[in-house]
Amino acid sequence: MTKYIIRRLLGIIPTLLVIITISFFIIRVAPGGPFDGERALPEVVKRNIEAKYHMNDPLIVQYGRYMFDVLRGDLGPSYRYKDHDVNFYIFQSLPNSMILGAIAISLSIIFGITSGMLAAVKQNTWVDYLSMALAVVGISVPLFVIGPVLQYIFAMRLGWFPTSGWFRSGDGWKTIVLPALTLAFADFATIARLTRSSMLETLRSDYIRTAKAKGMKPSAIIFKHSMKGAMLPIVSYLGPAFAGIITGSVVVETVFRIPGLGRFFVQSSFNRDYTLIVGVVIVYSVILVIMNFLVDIVYSLLDPRITYK
Amino acid sequence: MTNATSPDTYKRLLEVKGLQTYFKTDAGIVKAVDGISFTLNKGETLGIVGESGSGKSVTNLSIMRLIPSPPGKIVGGEVLFEGKDILKLSESELRHLRGNDISMIFQDPMTSLNPFLRISTQMIETIRLHKTMSRKEALAKSIEMLKLVGIPAAEERIHSYPHQFSGGMRQRVMIAMALSCEAKILIADEPTTALDVTIQAQILELIQELSKKLDTAVILITHDLGVVAGMCDTVCVMYAGKIVEKAKTDDLYAKPSHPYTFGLIQSVPRLDKAHDGKLFSIEGQPPNVIDLPPCCPFHPRCHKAMDICRTKYPPTKDLGNGHEVSCWLFIDEKEHSHE
Amino acid sequence: MNLFNKKSNKLQTTNEFNQVVVGNSLTKDAWRRLKKNKMAVISVIIVIVYILLATLAPILPIYPYDEIILDHQHLKPSFSKNAGELLMEKRLADIYTQAWRQGRMQVSEAEEEMLWAWIDSSNANKVWDYMFVVGSEQVAEGTYTLTAAEKRIIENLEKKLQTDLQITVKKVWYTNSETGKKENVARLPVEQVVEIYAEMVGASIASVSNQYEREIEQQLVKVIMAQNTGLTPEEYLLLYDKKLESMSEREHDKLIKENVFSKIVSYAKDIASQDLKTAATDASAEFPLDKEISILGSLSADVEATRKHDRQYYLGTDNQGRDMLSRIIYGGQVSIAIGFIGTITSVLIGIVLGSLAGYLGGKVDYFIMRIVDIMYGLPYMLLVIIAMAIFGRNILNLFFALAIISWLTISRMVRGQIMSLKNQEFIEAARSMGAPTWRIIFKHLVPNSLSVIIVFSTLRIPSFIMTESFLSYLGLGVQAPYASWGSLVGDAVGGMTLYPWKLFFPAATMTIFLFAMNFLGDGLRDAFDPQSKNQL
Repeated sequence: MTKYIIRRLLGIIPTLLVIITISFFIIRVAPGGPFDGERALPEVVKRNIEAKYHMNDPLIVQYGRYMFDVLRGDLGPSYRYKDHDVNFYIFQSLPNSMILGAIAISLSIIFGITSGMLAAVKQNTWVDYLSMALAVVGISVPLFVIGPVLQYIFAMRLGWFPTSGWFRSGDGWKTIVLPALTLAFADFATIARLTRSSMLETLRSDYIRTAKAKGMKPSAIIFKHSMKGAMLPIVSYLGPAFAGIITGSVVVETVFRIPGLGRFFVQSSFNRDYTLIVGVVIVYSVILVIMNFLVDIVYSLLDPRITYK
Repeated sequence: MTNATSPDTYKRLLEVKGLQTYFKTDAGIVKAVDGISFTLNKGETLGIVGESGSGKSVTNLSIMRLIPSPPGKIVGGEVLFEGKDILKLSESELRHLRGNDISMIFQDPMTSLNPFLRISTQMIETIRLHKTMSRKEALAKSIEMLKLVGIPAAEERIHSYPHQFSGGMRQRVMIAMALSCEAKILIADEPTTALDVTIQAQILELIQELSKKLDTAVILITHDLGVVAGMCDTVCVMYAGKIVEKAKTDDLYAKPSHPYTFGLIQSVPRLDKAHDGKLFSIEGQPPNVIDLPPCCPFHPRCHKAMDICRTKYPPTKDLGNGHEVSCWLFIDEKEHSHE
Repeated sequence: MNLFNKKSNKLQTTNEFNQVVVGNSLTKDAWRRLKKNKMAVISVIIVIVYILLATLAPILPIYPYDEIILDHQHLKPSFSKNAGELLMEKRLADIYTQAWRQGRMQVSEAEEEMLWAWIDSSNANKVWDYMFVVGSEQVAEGTYTLTAAEKRIIENLEKKLQTDLQITVKKVWYTNSETGKKENVARLPVEQVVEIYAEMVGASIASVSNQYEREIEQQLVKVIMAQNTGLTPEEYLLLYDKKLESMSEREHDKLIKENVFSKIVSYAKDIASQDLKTAATDASAEFPLDKEISILGSLSADVEATRKHDRQYYLGTDNQGRDMLSRIIYGGQVSIAIGFIGTITSVLIGIVLGSLAGYLGGKVDYFIMRIVDIMYGLPYMLLVIIAMAIFGRNILNLFFALAIISWLTISRMVRGQIMSLKNQEFIEAARSMGAPTWRIIFKHLVPNSLSVIIVFSTLRIPSFIMTESFLSYLGLGVQAPYASWGSLVGDAVGGMTLYPWKLFFPAATMTIFLFAMNFLGDGLRDAFDPQSKNQL
């Protein structure tokens, strides 16, 4: 087991290297950087700036320095905002995104598995049809439509929740409800469908027939014999689900004006603030890589057939 | 055994009467089992033989009421276990019956055990379902059963997962589990088909030996007539959802009456009788049992087919000593006109 | 249909039991199952309708999707009223609401309460609608009289609605004074067009040519600047000179002709609009009108004129007065095209790489799958956003960025399929007969995994469309004047309480299409893989 974990940890390294390399070249090579903008800078000023950002060193030296900085956790200065560096802005907004993401993924897992199980067990009843209809809506309707629709109904018409704001900025806990629901919806739908189909498949399997032939109760069959096997596809979906939550949070934070990392990302990509964009991507990638790693570990714990060689 | 035909109710453990199980599919209704009847006596071993798709497995799943529904449905007949109709039992009565009175071994040991649970968990759970035992006692009992079926180092191996066992070992575990509650009937659904030939004999011997020891009646489903000859007291031959011939094993081999049974026996390769180097084979394919017209389903493949075979299903004729056959060859013209 | 049935009847074979023997073709079977699935059939029809609308958009009788009419901002959808009537209604509602707020118009107490409740819940639309009805009633009953200023406003609007014209010059004719022959100016040689223009404005040919040369330069530089960002002015000029050099005489002439001809047309339009405006005011002409108008001595023009405010907007207009109906249709064109082309590209990449990895195995497999693994670890959506930020936001870049990142799953799937197929006997047979690798892959292996690929691709299209619209929604995808469903929704979100139709229609259109695609994909999957449903 320890060996397996170490091997998986080593597997993370190339991914991180690729991310950092891509990041570096984006910053270096991208045209329309912050300095060849609207006005032509005087030669002296330009040279000063280049010296400040170490732009006239050989490329390989720059690359090495960048790699070292990133690995140290320093994402460099922002091209656009002069007061603070990239780290400052990321650490300011990251907790907001993480809270939102954590709530959303928990909601989608809890509701997705519950309704998927219900649908499978009560196959071809109204429970099944209702939860699958909801799931189809979740899969077909984009976040940026669900968000405004929820805003329109629950905030503007019914007035139950505020349209925007953020509880950490002092707007009350209610502010988190609509964004979390919106963000959870797509993954809820996929998880519900996955759970239903994998549950149905498990319930048709030979070992469930054996359990029935032994005279087991339906509840015991579902919870003791089917759950573990049926959960495996859901666990392996969690990796993509985290990626989806990250992508989705970009939209949800924009729709609900939440001061999170995603909103920062969109703003800085309009500003062409490359160091900030790249910093955000690196942070997201690291989160994603860690999540994928955890998912793999959980999977291997769940499935006794996996060998740790 | 010689007087099996006399009404002897207490000896009749299981009676199947006119059982019909249909499946609804896109193409039409599949009459997988269409009106079959047989009796299983205490301590007896009954063989059900037939080609794949003849309805052997469906028959036995129907007895346990394990037909996946939808699309399957038991539409008629009775299954009497010790006089009670299984088909009319409530869910909880049925659960009490399954595993406790009647237990099953399935064809594929690779998929029949839950891969996510330890062998110990699965065995203890079975025992504790039907017997009031503590976890410890159940574990001891499980180990004892595993030893009985010949698993070496059972004390340690009981805590393994199924994938750590070979196919033959898993089938032994299945047998141990099936017999752990001292069931009165053991249904073995092609228990050796998925196994190596050398292991097959071991497993069959094990079943035979244990059923004698525990006085368990066995229904053995197989397509292998050789297996039947070695193990069974009585044999039912199934074709297209119907029993075409039913007899004591010795009678069947001595006097196969239905042309299908005859063909089956002839097509078994035998070392003692040389068939001028060529094996007998039954030409053609078994029919599709969807919307079958009234006729003997075997007639296109039968070398003794008559006109009547093409229009009417033959009634069952008792040839004496429990030897029953459904074939027009044994029906007189007179009897026929009475039908 | 009948013919088809007869044919298939002939082909049917029966066995000894008079049972029809049906061949077990997977595709035939799947097709039969798909036809039984009602949702899938409806979805197919919906998808076909959408595709037809999107491809036929240029010949549909709809207004141009990028035509801006500032007077028609935010008109609500209506089947019965044209733009003029809606404008008038809007103005009147405004006047009556003002009158009520200023206390000049009386309403009952209950109504008062209701109106204030609406205002409190920022439901301005309801207030206006209601006040329009109440005000109209009161004016008709005489309980409210319009003030002089209000009357003047209404009269002015009426006049404007009457006389605002939309004029298009279809052709300009030149009558040769010597021969008396009428010629289409657009077809004349460059020199003559320039001459006509010089004569028209009364300037020398030299000054005219001076003017157009300058304008063409500006135009070209603009194009160059759009293509290459971040250059110095000198570099732009250098590129411009290069461009001029590379142009042939004919291309150059064509540019000159286009430039001058467009001036003639706009001149003709000016004159025609003056004439027609007077005709519209004294009602001496019928609109819509289509006739030839003489412009200057030897010049005349075929002119089409309609009243600008006679337009009808079935789905309303956006904030620049563009027709939502045609924007949604053209937006669909972009979205659907990206969905389909993107899917095809990514599936092709995925098939090639996946089958190579699966069939060749070894180092190739390891290498390709490592790339896939690493790319899986990236938040690819964000990389697309970065790519859009760097390479510029246009449809082509968007499409490439999407295709490059979305072949991962399909390549993994194809690899799995190929690996399970490659050891089967028919492949051994092909190999033993000396078939080359590419032939085994693309003639034997790929066709055999096609059903999986088709099902996957169908489910891939909606997610592609979703990704595109997601980017467009953020403003990082399709740029104005082009539209896509995502950008339409994105534009509408800000004003959704006041102009809900701007959000509703594109969102509903997109949602229906995504629904249909998902149902179709599910239907296909169930049809190809009946195991996934509980059938015997």
